[in-house]
Amino acid sequence: MDNTQQSQWRKAMSEFKTLKKRRWSKRQKKEALWGLLFVSPFIIGFLGFMFLPMLFSFVGSFTNYNVTNRMDFIGLNNFRRMFTQDELFTTSLYNTAYYVLFNVPLTTAGGVFLAVLLNRQIRGIRVFRTIFYLPSILSGVAVYVLWMQLLSPSSGLVNTILSWVGISGPAWLFDPQWTKPALILMRMWSVGGAMLLYLATLQNVPRQLYESAEVDGAGSFKKFLNITLPMITPIIFYDVVTSTIGAFQIFQEAYVMTEGGTGGPANSLLFYNLHMWNQAFVARNMGYAMAMSMILFIIVLVLTFINLKLAPRWVHY
Amino acid sequence: MNKISWGKKMRYGLVLTAAPLLLAACGDGGTANEGGGDSPATDGDTNNESGEEVSLEFWSFWGSGPRRDAIEAIVEDFNESHDTITVEYVYQPWGDIWTKALAAIAGGNAPDVIVQDINSVRQRAEGQEATNLQSFIDEDDISGDFYPQLWDTVVYEDEAYAIPFNTDTQVIFYNVDALEEAGLDPETALATWDDIEETARTLDEGSEGNWETIGFYPRWNIGADVWALNADGGVSWFDEEGNVAINTPEKVEALEWLLEWQDYYGTDTINQYEAEFGQGVADPFISGLVAMRGQNINYYTNLKENAPEDFNFGIAPLPEFEEGNGNWSWGGGFVLEIPENTAHPEESYEFIKYLTSPEVQERFGLNSFDIMANMEANENLMTHEELDEEGQMVYEMAHQNLESTVITPVPLNAPDYISLVNTQIDAAFLRQKTAQEALDDAQESVENLVEQYQ
Repeated sequence: MDNTQQSQWRKAMSEFKTLKKRRWSKRQKKEALWGLLFVSPFIIGFLGFMFLPMLFSFVGSFTNYNVTNRMDFIGLNNFRRMFTQDELFTTSLYNTAYYVLFNVPLTTAGGVFLAVLLNRQIRGIRVFRTIFYLPSILSGVAVYVLWMQLLSPSSGLVNTILSWVGISGPAWLFDPQWTKPALILMRMWSVGGAMLLYLATLQNVPRQLYESAEVDGAGSFKKFLNITLPMITPIIFYDVVTSTIGAFQIFQEAYVMTEGGTGGPANSLLFYNLHMWNQAFVARNMGYAMAMSMILFIIVLVLTFINLKLAPRWVHY
Repeated sequence: MNKISWGKKMRYGLVLTAAPLLLAACGDGGTANEGGGDSPATDGDTNNESGEEVSLEFWSFWGSGPRRDAIEAIVEDFNESHDTITVEYVYQPWGDIWTKALAAIAGGNAPDVIVQDINSVRQRAEGQEATNLQSFIDEDDISGDFYPQLWDTVVYEDEAYAIPFNTDTQVIFYNVDALEEAGLDPETALATWDDIEETARTLDEGSEGNWETIGFYPRWNIGADVWALNADGGVSWFDEEGNVAINTPEKVEALEWLLEWQDYYGTDTINQYEAEFGQGVADPFISGLVAMRGQNINYYTNLKENAPEDFNFGIAPLPEFEEGNGNWSWGGGFVLEIPENTAHPEESYEFIKYLTSPEVQERFGLNSFDIMANMEANENLMTHEELDEEGQMVYEMAHQNLESTVITPVPLNAPDYISLVNTQIDAAFLRQKTAQEALDDAQESVENLVEQYQ
């Protein structure tokens, strides 16, 4: 697979080069212009709302900016404070890493699992697909408040159901050992988005592969392992990359579920972005928060780079 | 043929997807212009002497219920009684208002008056986010109208930057019937820490896993920080000179006392009921499961809404650490501020003065049961004929309790210290550290933080 991929890449590059050299006809130019016009909302949005703020953040990370009346250049002080003095920086980084480590594999596996189940041709399957997708269109504070009630230690639905099978459930959001698992569990609720992607891909897996495998006597598990899974690896890869980036940005859940963003019991829900937000808007250390955002950017960049480098080993295009 | 029609489809598709985006972009621009349009129009008439009309934008987070009704009626009355000033009341959601305000101030299109948090006035004064009001105070000194500790919070480098609006104070609510049945007199049963502990043991019924009545658990809705300042003669984590005062012997003792309570009832029981406070009729205090609980005095509105008619409750100050130590309690509140660089500070101040005058404060309190910052207003409410006995009692209790209520503004030399302290306190309650170790570590962490800000 490695080789074919490389050759494909080379082919694409050489085509791109000839494209560059080719002189464009009037019609092509016009078409290109139209193309640019159509993507311009994104380009303008990206420049105005992403690139410029990022650039400003980069500059601000070397200052003691407080949003209103202070912006002095202080060199690397913010970064020094982050790595040598700020106790909560390491806590927040640990909490976030923990969350990413469990959330990404679980939501990916959950998405694939659900999609495979919902790919069956049985009566009423469309209804089931809708039901499983529905939670992911609900979002925001209402869902978190709902979950706070579901996870309530004595009267919550989760512990009530656990008690039916003789398990005395934990105190979830009140016990620092269980706060992060509770949040990870909660996030599984919106696995529907990824599921939809997988479902679409599953329907594109050629039937004849399964048929020939059946002729060879493969069972459903073998078919799944050797046909389904390899065929959907590009989407798994896409899902892993985007959900890793998304998981690092966890904020809203913790902000809502820990009264005003205090970080929960023993700071167990003090995620990176929550600490950053507190620094920016509670302590008015916007410069420090900007420096934190730069570090997060680098972490995510490195992880995405590693993901891309590892991809050819397991992703089959 | 097929190909062409597909291409066409694509193009239509693109136009269809792009259109809402463009429209949304235009829409945004439109609202932004509307917002901004106010300022140039009103920029010209800074001088109100000429009798020109000035319109003010007033932001608060009172979006529903009696507070919203009250403030809207008050604003309407103000507009009717002032020919040249029109106030427009704008509701901003609780979660957004102050970040929005910060962005608006930084962007130069701030509203004229904002309801802000009482604890961070100095922070905003230092950051030049709020207008210095000292010249108005010099002209007409109203500082004596307010509870002194509230006024203290608005003063930065000897000058005022806000006017206090309302406040709150923490007290003990007790079930009168439960105490009477046990033959206890609230006056003496809740006087000191030892008294309340003894009372709780008398009222306790049942045992671990099977409680019928829980007498009292001090950390239900009253923080360890409040018990610590109660024990330490009203000194919060920072003393009056601004020094870190976390591991004082009294505070260590307070934390040890709280740990004993935790051991007594057990964390399972505590966590179990904690989630249910404030959930309307399921509230364990209303259902009679908990006989005494600490809470902001404004909890009265919950009781009024959810408790049955014959529910008989009383209010007492937080018990004294030891006799003669003082019933120290803690409170918060909100202030009215004029953001820096707005066009009409004089008219805005006139509006603020109106909102903080005794009559208007009284009116707001009457409708919302908020404890007002203006002393005269609270005193009037103590005997107000429109309030029933319970309502009058709430104001009487509040007025009395405010004498020993401490407000803890964010220290400028360590604005984000609280998470550091909470981490250590949580460690103590998780039994990872002793009370002494936890507070020693907190002391060190916060001192280290203060250094980071120097």
